[in-house]
Amino acid sequence: MMNLSDQTRLNLSRALVVTGLILYIPSNIMPVMTMSLVGKVDPLTVMGGVIELYDSGLPLIAGVVFLASFVLPFAKLAALAWVLFLHGSPSLRRERSKVFKIVHRIGSWSMIDIFLLAVLAAVGQLGALASVRAEPGCIVFAIVLLCSLVAAEIYKPRLIWEDA
Amino acid sequence: MVPIGKRTLQPTLALSMTGLFLLLLANTTPILTFEVVGRSQADYMITGVIELWNQGYFLIALLVCFAGIIAPALYLSSIFYISLATVFRIKLPGLRRVFSLGRAVNPWNLIPVYSIATVVSVVKLKMLGEVHWESGARFVLGVAIMSILSNQISDKQIALERLEEMGVEIT
Repeated sequence: MMNLSDQTRLNLSRALVVTGLILYIPSNIMPVMTMSLVGKVDPLTVMGGVIELYDSGLPLIAGVVFLASFVLPFAKLAALAWVLFLHGSPSLRRERSKVFKIVHRIGSWSMIDIFLLAVLAAVGQLGALASVRAEPGCIVFAIVLLCSLVAAEIYKPRLIWEDA
Repeated sequence: MVPIGKRTLQPTLALSMTGLFLLLLANTTPILTFEVVGRSQADYMITGVIELWNQGYFLIALLVCFAGIIAPALYLSSIFYISLATVFRIKLPGLRRVFSLGRAVNPWNLIPVYSIATVVSVVKLKMLGEVHWESGARFVLGVAIMSILSNQISDKQIALERLEEMGVEIT
C-alpha cells in the first residue's frame, strides 16, 4: 500500500471514486436497518432516519445527520472526482489542494450512520419487545464510505502539483 | 504568545496517557441502558460489534471495531510512545514504525464521530422507550476530547526534530 506508483495511486483512486458514485444512489434507497418495537416492524433508510428525527421536533439533530450521512458522502466523492479529473492539469491547483485537505479532514463524519447502527443493534436485543437488525443496505452504505475514505488516503496531495 | 505544546511534547504525553486510560474505561463500562416494558439492555462499545457480527454483517462489525476501538487505541498508544521517548529522550525500540503507524491510523480514529452517534441514538431510542446514560458515555466523550486535543496541539515538527536528534530518521 505504501509503495504504490503514482499511476497506480491515481488509477485506484479513480476506480474507488467511480464505484462510490455508482453505489451512492442504492445506498440511500436500500434500508440500512429494521427496527421492531412490540411487533411493529419499521425498515429505515438513511434518509428515512433523518425525516423521522425532523418529524419528532429535532431539526438540529436531523440537520447534523442529514449533512453527515447524505450530503457529505456525495460531496466528498464529487470533490474527489473533480480533483482526480483535473489530475495533471495546471489549472486550479491551489483550489484543488484546499478542497482535498477539507475532504480529508471532514470525510470521516459520514461514519455516523454506521456507528448509530452499532449502538442501536447493541441495545436492540430485547426479543419480541424491541429488536434492531442490520439490512444489506448498510453494507452498500459502508462500501460508499470506504471508497471515499480509501481513495482520499491513496491519492496523495503532492500528486496535485505534478504535471501529466 | 507561544501556543501550548509548541515548545514541548509534555501536554501531548499527558493527553495521550489520559486518553488511553479513558479508552480502557470506555470499553469496560456500559454507555447507555435501553428499557422497554420493564426489560432493559445495556450497551457497551463491543456489544454492537458482536451483535453485527452475529447477524452476519462482518464488514460492518469489523469497520465499527476498527474505527471505534482499535484505531483510537493504536493512535493514542503511538502518540504516547513517541511523546514519552522525545520528552525523556529515551531511544525506545521501533520509534520509526510507531510514528508511521500513528500517522496511518489517525484518519481512522473516529471516536469523536462515535460519541456524536451515541447522542443521536439516544434521541432515537427515547422515541421507543426509556434511555439512561451510563458512566461509559462520559469516558467515550473524554477519549474523543483527548484524541482531538492531542491531535491539535501536538507539534509534529518538534517530534520529528527530536527524533532526528536521537538518530531516528522519519521519511
